[in-house]
Amino acid sequence: MTATGRRDVDGVEPDPLADTPAAPRRSLMARLDAIEGLPILLVFVIVLVVFMVLAPGTFLGHRIYKSLLITAPPLLIVGLGLTLVIAAGEIDLSFPSVIALSGFVFAACYRFDNVPYLAFLADGLEGEALQAMKFRMAWLGMVLAVAVGGLIGYVNGLLIARIGIPSIIATLATQFLWRGVAVVVAAGLSYSLRGVKDSAVWQVTSGRLFDWFPMQAVWSLLIAVALWFVLNRHRFGEALLFIGDNQQVARVMGIDVAKEKIRLFTLMGLLGGVSGVFLTAENITFYTNQGQGFLLLVIAAVFIGGTSIFGGSGTIVGTVFGTLIVLVVQSGIVAAGVQGFWNDVVIGLIFIAAVVFHLVVERPERFKGLVFAPRG
Amino acid sequence: MKTTATTLGVIVAATSMLALAPAPTVAQEMLGDGMTVYVQMGGNPGGPATLPRANGAKDAARHLGAELIEQYSGWLPDVMVRQFREAVAAGPACIVIMGHPGNDAFADLVDEARADGIIVTSNNTPLSEIYDSHVGGGFGYAGVDLYTGGYVTAQNMLKAGLAEGDQALVYGLLGQAERGLSTRGLKEGLEEGGVVVDYLEISPEVNNDTSLVVPILVAYLESNPDLKAIGTQHGGVTGQLPRALELAGKAPGDIITGGIDLAPSTIDGLQDGYTSVVLDQQLYLQGFLPVMQCVLTGKYGFSGLFTNTGAGVVTPETIGELVPLIESGIR
Amino acid sequence: MRVAQDTGAAPAVRMENIGKRYGNVVALKNIDLEIGGNEIVGLIGDNGAGKSTLIKILTGVEAPTSGRMYVRGKPVDFADYSVRKAHELGVETVYQESSLGDKQPLWRNFFVGRNLTNRWGFIKVKEQKRIARQVLMGAIGFRGAGLDVDATVGRLSGGERQGVAIGRAMHFDADLIVLDEPTVALAVMEVRKVLDFIADIKQSGRACLYIEHTLAQVHQLADRLLIMDRGEIVRIYRQGEVSLDELTNYMLALHGDQEAAA
Repeated sequence: MTATGRRDVDGVEPDPLADTPAAPRRSLMARLDAIEGLPILLVFVIVLVVFMVLAPGTFLGHRIYKSLLITAPPLLIVGLGLTLVIAAGEIDLSFPSVIALSGFVFAACYRFDNVPYLAFLADGLEGEALQAMKFRMAWLGMVLAVAVGGLIGYVNGLLIARIGIPSIIATLATQFLWRGVAVVVAAGLSYSLRGVKDSAVWQVTSGRLFDWFPMQAVWSLLIAVALWFVLNRHRFGEALLFIGDNQQVARVMGIDVAKEKIRLFTLMGLLGGVSGVFLTAENITFYTNQGQGFLLLVIAAVFIGGTSIFGGSGTIVGTVFGTLIVLVVQSGIVAAGVQGFWNDVVIGLIFIAAVVFHLVVERPERFKGLVFAPRG
Repeated sequence: MKTTATTLGVIVAATSMLALAPAPTVAQEMLGDGMTVYVQMGGNPGGPATLPRANGAKDAARHLGAELIEQYSGWLPDVMVRQFREAVAAGPACIVIMGHPGNDAFADLVDEARADGIIVTSNNTPLSEIYDSHVGGGFGYAGVDLYTGGYVTAQNMLKAGLAEGDQALVYGLLGQAERGLSTRGLKEGLEEGGVVVDYLEISPEVNNDTSLVVPILVAYLESNPDLKAIGTQHGGVTGQLPRALELAGKAPGDIITGGIDLAPSTIDGLQDGYTSVVLDQQLYLQGFLPVMQCVLTGKYGFSGLFTNTGAGVVTPETIGELVPLIESGIR
Repeated sequence: MRVAQDTGAAPAVRMENIGKRYGNVVALKNIDLEIGGNEIVGLIGDNGAGKSTLIKILTGVEAPTSGRMYVRGKPVDFADYSVRKAHELGVETVYQESSLGDKQPLWRNFFVGRNLTNRWGFIKVKEQKRIARQVLMGAIGFRGAGLDVDATVGRLSGGERQGVAIGRAMHFDADLIVLDEPTVALAVMEVRKVLDFIADIKQSGRACLYIEHTLAQVHQLADRLLIMDRGEIVRIYRQGEVSLDELTNYMLALHGDQEAAA
C-alpha cells in the first residue's frame, strides 16, 4: 500500500514522489486573509483611535489600559469557552450563574469560620493561626470553585447530549437553577474576603507582575493561547468544528458527538469556575448577583469578534479583541460624555454594525443583496 | 460760592448716578469650571429609583458649571466596581459612588483614586469605613441613614393602624452588606411594636426588574389571608405593591403598606389609599448634594458632609402637593 | 440467491439472511449477498425497497435484527460494530451529501475522525496537509482546478466533492467503498467525473457497492446488478446479461406489481 493510495495491482510500485504537485504560491491578499483576526484587530484600532479623539483625557493616558487588563479577564475567559461552544453549533447561557456559584465556593472556603457547616474547622484557631488556615482554605476554595464549575458544565452536557434538550433551553434553565442555589447557600448574603490580598492565592491569581501588570491578564492570555491550539490544532477542537458544521457528517465520520459535547460543556463550566475565582478575588467580595451583567457583554464580544452563529468555525483571536472592543466602547461612550439614555442605543448600533461587517466578509454576495435590489 | 456749590452738586449727582447705575456684566466664573464629575446613578437610565437622582446631579452640574458623566450599573455591585475603575482611569476631578459593593471592594480603589488626586464621595448607601478614613479629603454621604429610615417607616406604619399581634410581611435585602440595614430597621421597628414579622428576601431577578414581584406578592397574600401589613425598603417593589394588592383582591386600607421612594405608581397608590406610608429618600438630593460636595471640595478643599436625606414620610394626606414634582422626576 | 465468486479470495463482504424490522415494519428480509474483492456491484430498486437500510447495516450505522455478516471472511459482532469499526475493517461510505464539512478545509475533511496526532492528541497538521495534497492533487487529479488543500469544501463542485470523499476512502485502505446515490443532482460534466472515480476504484484493486437510480449509468459500469424490491433481493444480473431496455422494462414491471398490490 503506497502513500498515494494506489495498490500495486500490476506488481509495480508507483513512484511515490511522482504526481505530487508543489504547494501553490499564495498572493499577498490571500496570505493576509489567512491571518486570523486581522479585520477585527483593525476594528479595535479604529475604535481606540475614535475614542482617543473623543475622550483624550481617558484614552491617551495609561490607566484605562491597566483597568482593561483587570476587568477584561473574567469576561474573556468565559468568552473563550463560549467561542468553542458556538463553533460547535451550541450555546451556553448558564455561565453567569457558574460565576456566581463558583465565586461563592471560593469565598466560603476562605471565610470558612463564618460558614455554619465549615466553622468547626476553626476550633481552637485564633489570630495568625486562623489567618494561615484561611490562606490554606483559599487554595482549596480555588480548586473546589473550578471543580464546581466543571460539575455544572458536566450536568449541562448530560442534559444536552444524552437527554437531547436543545442547549439554549437547557442552559437557560440551569442559569436560573444555579443562581438560585448560589443565593440559597449564601443565605442571600455577600461575603467579604478581607485580608485575602495577603494570601499566596491572591498573589497568584490577581497579583501585579513587575508591580503593575495584572496576573489575571497573564492567565487569561495563557488560556487564550491554549484554547487556540485546542480549537485549531487538536483532535477535540476539530471534532467541535465538524459537529458545528454538520452533525450528521460528524457522526458518520466516526466522531462520538455526544461524548464530545459533554466534554465541551464541562470545559465551559471549568472556565466559568476560573472566571468566578478571578472576579471574586479581584473584587475581594462575593456578591450573589455577580456575573449577571456578563451574559450579553460576553455574547456580544464573541460575535463582534467574528465567530459565526451558524457554527463550524470559531476565532479565538477575534474573541480576545471582541472583548476589548466591548469594554472600550462601554467606558468610552461614558467618558466621551454620551448621555446615559443614549448609552444602550449606541452600543446596540455598534454591535449591529460589527456583526454585519462580519457577515459581509464571510459572504460577500449578501452585501450585494443589501445594496442592489434583486431584479425581476 | 455758586461754582463750589455747583461743582459739589455735580460731583454728588455723578456719584449717586454711578451708584444707582446697573453694574456692568462681567462673565461670571462658575465654581465648577473645568471639573468633570463621574456619578454612579444606580439602576438603569430612566428607572424609577434612578431618574430623580440623575436629575439632581444634572441640575447641580449645570448650575455649578461642572461636566457630568453618568454611570448606570443596573444595581449590580460588581459592575459598580468595574465602573469605578473606568472612572479613575479617566482622571476626573471627582467620582461619586454608591455603597452597594461594600467597604472591602472599594477600600484600595478609593485609596488609589485619592493618591491620584481624585475626590471621592458617596450617596444612597453608606460606606462607613471609607467615610471614616477619607472624610477629611471630601468623602461625604448624601442619603438615608438606612437603619433610621427603615425604623421611621415602621413607626409610621404602626401609627397608621397596626396593633400588637398583627401579622406583617417584610420583603427586603437583608443580605446585602450595608443596604440591608434599612430592612433591618424596618423589621425591628415593627417587631418593637409587637407585630409578628415574616421575612422574604428579594431575588436578584426581582432586584433588577421589579415587575416580576407582582405574582410573588399575590401568591403570598393568597396564602396568608390574615396579613395586616407589608413593608419594604426597596423603591421598585414599593411601586408594584398597589397592583399586587389589587390583583389579590384587597381593598385600599385592608393592608397597611410601608415603602420608600416616590415613583409614579407609588403616587397612585398613595392617592388610592393602597399605599399608607412612604419614606421619601429625596433621591434628587442624593444626586444634587454629592455633585455640590465635589465642586466645593475641589474648589475650596471642604471636608465631606454627612447629610441624611430621608427625614420624613409621605402619606395619602401629604401626597397632593408633591404630585407635579414626582411626575417630572424631581421627587 | 447467491452467486459464487470466481476470484478465490475472500469476498469483501458476505451477508447471510440479514433482516431488519422497525417494530412491525419489515424493512429487510432474507438478504443473502456477496461482494467480491474487486468488483463493482450496482444496487438498484425503487424508493422504499430497502437499499438505504441495507447500506446502513453494512456500514455500521445500524444493527440488523437477524442474520450474520462477514467482512473479509471474518464474522462481525453487531454489538461492537460502528462506523469507526467499519472503517477499521475497511468499509468506507460516500454519502449523497458526500459526508464532508462544507466550512472546513480539504485537509481537515480528509482526515476527520482519524487524525494523525501526537501523544497529546494534537494534530500533525503539516503531515496531514502533505498527504492530502498528494492524494487529492496527485491521484485524484484536482491539479487543473486551481484548488489547494486549504480551500474549504464549500468551494468545490458536486463532482469534485464526491472525488474528495472517494479519494479519502481509497486512501484509508478501504476494501469496500459504498456509494449512496453519488450522482444525484449533479451536472452532466460532474456525473462523468464521478463515474470515472468509480472506475478508478476497481482499477485500484478494490470493491465498490453503488446505489443508483439512473439505470443507464449503473448498467454500463457495474459488474453485477442487485435488484431490490420490498426489502428483498429479487434479481441479480451480471454485466452483459441484460440490455438497458430489458432492464428498464423489468424495473417498470416491478413498480407496476407494487401499484397493483397497493
